[in-house]
Amino acid sequence: MAEIQLENITKRFDDVVAVKDLNLEVKDGEFIVVVGPSGCGKSTTLRMISGLESVSEGTIRIGGVDVTGQEPSDRGIAMVFQNYALYPHMTAKRNMTFGMNSAGSFTDEEIEERAMSAAEILNITDLLDRKPGALSGGERQRVALGRAICRDPQVFLMDEPLSNLDAKLRVQMRAELAKLHDELGTTTVYVTHDQTEAMTLGDRVVVLDGGQLQQVDSPQRLYDFPENRFVAEFIGDPAMNMIAVDVADGTASHPAFTIPLPDADSLSVGSSVLGVRPEDLYLADEREATSPETFEATVSVTEPLGDSLLLHGQIEGHEFKIQAQPRRTITPGDTVELGYDPDRLHLFDRDTGEAIYHSDPAVSVTPPGVTQ
Amino acid sequence: MSEQSAREVFTNNKEAVLLLLPTLLVIVVFLYWPAIDTFRLSFFQTSLTSERFAGTYNYIRLFTSGSYQNSLLVTFGFGFVVVAGSMLLSLFISFMLYEVDRFTSIYLITAIWPYALPPAVAGLVLLFLLQPDLGILTYWIRSLGAVFGLDLGLDWRTSGPLAFTVVSITAIWKQLGYNIIFMVAAMNNIPNTIDEAAQLDGISRTNRLFKIYVPLMSPTLVFLVVINTIYAFFATFPIIDLMTSGGPGGATNILIYKLFIDAFENFNLGYAAAQSLVLFLVVGVLMYIQLRVTDRYAHYG
Repeated sequence: MAEIQLENITKRFDDVVAVKDLNLEVKDGEFIVVVGPSGCGKSTTLRMISGLESVSEGTIRIGGVDVTGQEPSDRGIAMVFQNYALYPHMTAKRNMTFGMNSAGSFTDEEIEERAMSAAEILNITDLLDRKPGALSGGERQRVALGRAICRDPQVFLMDEPLSNLDAKLRVQMRAELAKLHDELGTTTVYVTHDQTEAMTLGDRVVVLDGGQLQQVDSPQRLYDFPENRFVAEFIGDPAMNMIAVDVADGTASHPAFTIPLPDADSLSVGSSVLGVRPEDLYLADEREATSPETFEATVSVTEPLGDSLLLHGQIEGHEFKIQAQPRRTITPGDTVELGYDPDRLHLFDRDTGEAIYHSDPAVSVTPPGVTQ
Repeated sequence: MSEQSAREVFTNNKEAVLLLLPTLLVIVVFLYWPAIDTFRLSFFQTSLTSERFAGTYNYIRLFTSGSYQNSLLVTFGFGFVVVAGSMLLSLFISFMLYEVDRFTSIYLITAIWPYALPPAVAGLVLLFLLQPDLGILTYWIRSLGAVFGLDLGLDWRTSGPLAFTVVSITAIWKQLGYNIIFMVAAMNNIPNTIDEAAQLDGISRTNRLFKIYVPLMSPTLVFLVVINTIYAFFATFPIIDLMTSGGPGGATNILIYKLFIDAFENFNLGYAAAQSLVLFLVVGVLMYIQLRVTDRYAHYG
């Protein structure tokens, strides 16, 4: 077990910068999830930690040791791939022990013991004599995990390990991974594009975009206090509504409405972007009003999701989404009265996208250049 | 839908037969008929103008002939050396080609170049390079030998083992390109992540080649062993013909070359027919064994 430090990591592929000046510290025993859209550099980052990809600039330390130039096999890491990467001609057991056999520094008993205990943890003792071709996707990923556990690494690296599994199995394996991490306590870096996985698994979540670090925080803080517009829109499904507003004297005004911003009496930043999550909007007749005022919207599309009803509403030609309660008979064209949760408003700079203000009282963001 | 209509393309049988005719004609005239006639001829004693039924005379003569037994031995030796040599050498070259990152296509083209030469030209090229007195390669080898105080004659025109070696080298060199094309293609089919898993596992290069790549390439390797066997037994004819003419003293007189001499220089067609039938059986049995044995080890997906 060990901590990982990435210092000023940059990766260039010819003239494309895949990762730019990344600084990150992963604590010992932490489960950290790296999330971002396709091409954001998350897999590249993981592969640089593993040593499969070289680093253009910067230093990587694992357990305090500079491993930047070391071979993958010397770094004390184990990696799990999206497509399992099992040796197809070997049995599950041989897949797990092949690396140790080749290293030659283990006795046969040691290898046997480790393989058996890994198999027991993962519940695959019955499958050990089968080849990958005779295993299902979930079983294969379990064997791949077994191979990683057998190495008894300082760090687990996982590159979208659940993405090839069907939805149901993914949820099940997700829970098992969390349990596994609790049992083993090994430092884990987990890459995914799936924000549900990021939120449920991570002690902390790293959001990357365009090769640059956007925010590192615990899942709930990431959700409640996004530091910029990208994080706000990327985390949460359906995505946060963004409405251009004009902010003066603690009030956000839009041609169709004005919203007072709580505890921000003197906030005057001019034109900016107001963010409200669909679940923080509601139909006025659904619950007791929490917002000082309500406004009207025209429904353009309804999407019944079972547990909720997702409405696409229009205010002054501006489209946004509302998560309403299910089993309502609302049809496109209807006009609805909307309320909002005043503790869940976010304000972003129109040009830089940086967060200016969160209405949640627990907020501690003090953005630069704001006179209060 | 009836069982018939699914496959019925032609309105009548005549049309189908007509379309098949050219192919059938070629096969019958150039394959079946000669094969049957060879079988028939092998029971006849022939001269240039006459033939006379002789029963199993040709076969008895064949298996009691010292020169035929020698030829059989030479052929198996040659076949083994050429197949094993070209497979192993190609495997190493392919592995290096697969691992190299720069100038990949230049290396690849260089490696498969010999295959683009007709066998006769390949034979001629090496004939010049390895000519005992004037050849550039022999000169170098002799110079190298001189460094260690050896006086190498290298006259493979008179030394049987040397001639065998030279012909084997030529035959292997000629076949490298063909094998490399298939092997590199097979290696490129191995998923990258398996490579990466091996890197993470810290598998040495030799282990990676023989314990991961070779098993995953095994279907291609089985195919190549069969093709190389056919090559060694039949297609090396021009090389032998050009370089040694089966000599010296029968040291490179492989079956295919011997039967050609018996048929078209000694004009003993019956005897040659018997030889070609035996050769056919030998290669057939060999192939059967190869496929049976390798099938047990080959990993198909």
